[in-house]
Amino acid sequence: MSFWQDPLVGDKIITLMAAMVLVLQIMMVAMRGIVTSIRAFGLQSFLLACIGLTIAHFNHAPHIYIAAFMMLVLKAIALPLILEYLVNRIEVRQEIEPLVNVPISIITAGLLTLLAYVVAASFHRPEVHTGPAALGHNMLAVAISVFLIGFFTMLNRRKALAQVLAMLCLENGILLAAISLTYGMPLIVEVGVFFDVLVAALLLAILIFQIRETFDSTDVSRLSRLRG
Amino acid sequence: MSIFTLLIIPLIGSVITFLMTSTRRMEFVYLLTAVASCFGAVWIAMEVATQGHTSWMDGFLYADSLSALLVLLTAFVYLATAPYAIGYLRHDDRYAEKDQIFFQSNDPRTLRAKLRRYYALAPLFAFCMFLVAVSSNLGVMWVAIEGTTLASIFLVTFYARPTSLEAAWKYAILGGVGLSMALFGTVLTYYAAHQVIAGDSLSALNWPVLVTKAAQFDKSAMRLSFILVLLGFGTKAGLAPMHTWKPDAYSEAPVPVAILMATAQLNCAVYALARFYVLTSRSVGTTFASDLLVLFGLLSIGIAVPFILVQRNHRRLLAYSSIEHAGIMVLSLGFGGVLGPLGMLLHMTFHSVTKPLLFFCAGNAQQHMGNDSLRRETGGLLHILPVSASMFLLAALAVTGTPPFSMFQSEFTVLRAGFAAQNTVASVLLVVFIVAIFGGFFHHISQLVFGPKPEVPRGDSSRWKTYPVIGLAAVVLILGVWLPAPLNALITDAAHILEVRP
Repeated sequence: MSFWQDPLVGDKIITLMAAMVLVLQIMMVAMRGIVTSIRAFGLQSFLLACIGLTIAHFNHAPHIYIAAFMMLVLKAIALPLILEYLVNRIEVRQEIEPLVNVPISIITAGLLTLLAYVVAASFHRPEVHTGPAALGHNMLAVAISVFLIGFFTMLNRRKALAQVLAMLCLENGILLAAISLTYGMPLIVEVGVFFDVLVAALLLAILIFQIRETFDSTDVSRLSRLRG
Repeated sequence: MSIFTLLIIPLIGSVITFLMTSTRRMEFVYLLTAVASCFGAVWIAMEVATQGHTSWMDGFLYADSLSALLVLLTAFVYLATAPYAIGYLRHDDRYAEKDQIFFQSNDPRTLRAKLRRYYALAPLFAFCMFLVAVSSNLGVMWVAIEGTTLASIFLVTFYARPTSLEAAWKYAILGGVGLSMALFGTVLTYYAAHQVIAGDSLSALNWPVLVTKAAQFDKSAMRLSFILVLLGFGTKAGLAPMHTWKPDAYSEAPVPVAILMATAQLNCAVYALARFYVLTSRSVGTTFASDLLVLFGLLSIGIAVPFILVQRNHRRLLAYSSIEHAGIMVLSLGFGGVLGPLGMLLHMTFHSVTKPLLFFCAGNAQQHMGNDSLRRETGGLLHILPVSASMFLLAALAVTGTPPFSMFQSEFTVLRAGFAAQNTVASVLLVVFIVAIFGGFFHHISQLVFGPKPEVPRGDSSRWKTYPVIGLAAVVLILGVWLPAPLNALITDAAHILEVRP
């Protein structure tokens, strides 16, 4: 079996890229500029698309090519462009002002990664050497970490746009799980999920625009009139 | 074929409305769509009643009696709100200038664009809810539930006030995060199923296929999946502590939208949760999922109590009541056994019939008085809105589960399920909470209805706004004493689907 067809090589490449996805996610916790964060998100999505392509190639799952292609076009290219346009259009100060300071945020992200590994440990199956189950435990841990850190980042952001960005990163964690654990969901489901994500991002962008028009700010901690 | 008909009707209605310019024609198409959807729903229910189930495109869309019940309830709520929505929006349109209802602009063209937004998005909202009911694929079901959120965000911002933007933001963000958890849960279920059901990947997420093989699924994956799904769809159903978007969204959205969200959308979320509950229980045993459901259910009912007791705003009061009822449904499902699912479905049915009436009356009061506060000086509604006020009282009694009305039966069934499951603590707490909520509700509503005559002219003029109130009140009264045999059979059948034997 040649090098480029050996599934074990594919698994190694995938694990490497998944590690980079996690590193990017932790970096995003510490980033100061919103534009840099958007680019990091674009890179993360690009890596996910590459993971999809790798799996599709090494494990002969042709329908993942389509999913990877959609990921590339929508999440790695279209959404970052839309978000950057929106930032240039409405944000006067392009800095993220987190609620918790950076060192504590990074420590929290580390702890969440640890937690994810503990949760994923019960999925560990040393007796299986090929297929999704062999990748499962490690990939699931990365996916849960990305998900949890995204969740934390959302809580840690004041600005509407930064919150939406964190939500999109959190979804990247889920997509990573979907691609690597099961070699992709059924195609129709994947198309639906991507469609929903795209529409949700567009609607949220419109909503942010309206909030900015009405409140002269995108600081969502000011949205606190409704109580009780 | 019946499934296809049901789905295509609201979709066509939405598209046609989007292309229209005349308000009258939009209203006509909207009404026609609601009536036609209702026929479609009855058709599905009849097919299910005779054949046991019906499907389309090789089981990709599939309806059993549980789906049929959800479809019927959604169609009923959609139909009941349609004439009311027309009256409600005409009132807004007429008094827009005087009351300054719309925040930014009141010129006729923007107003018509707003009306078009409502009449085009509401059928789309209904379409997504029908799709939730008839998709057998859990992934497609997730897509449809996300669709209900997307279709309704801009219905919540209908009035474009700063507060409605705030409500819509909370709704969109909390809903989005919640649903991403549910998606993760769905992925994990697929992971668990994937190892057992080899071969065609599409059917490996079809519920009827999954349920037969659930016992062999990976148990740790199913446990994690259920926790995520419970948090996710629980957010959508408004279970505590993920309920905070609900009072804001319900009080800021136009009343017909709030009704669709408080009944039909709530049912969809609970339905999705119930489907996952069956899979999880068959895989890891009943106690794990049941305990979680009982916990979240009780927490939701308990959290509603203080907020209902001190509430100063009747639209928010209704939202907390909806949190309470979501809690009761989930609690009943958690009690399990034979009676638990039955109690949940009965409660779902009766709640979907009663809650719209309460919202109709609240909407009439709010539009006439110009506000929805519950302070002492706003009392005396009976003098100025005799029909709506008296029905408000009746609906408040019905929704808190007072004996002649149907919700007493369902809450009683829930209690029986609780005692049958030997869960005495939860059952006793349920009784305490329900009694406290009844007290709070009755206090607030009687203060609003009775009292000295205020300095406001008499209302109850528009036919579109009064006839739905009277008609629905008649349905509520009849359901209290007589549940039609076919409906009863459908509910019993659906309860069997959710029944899990330990």
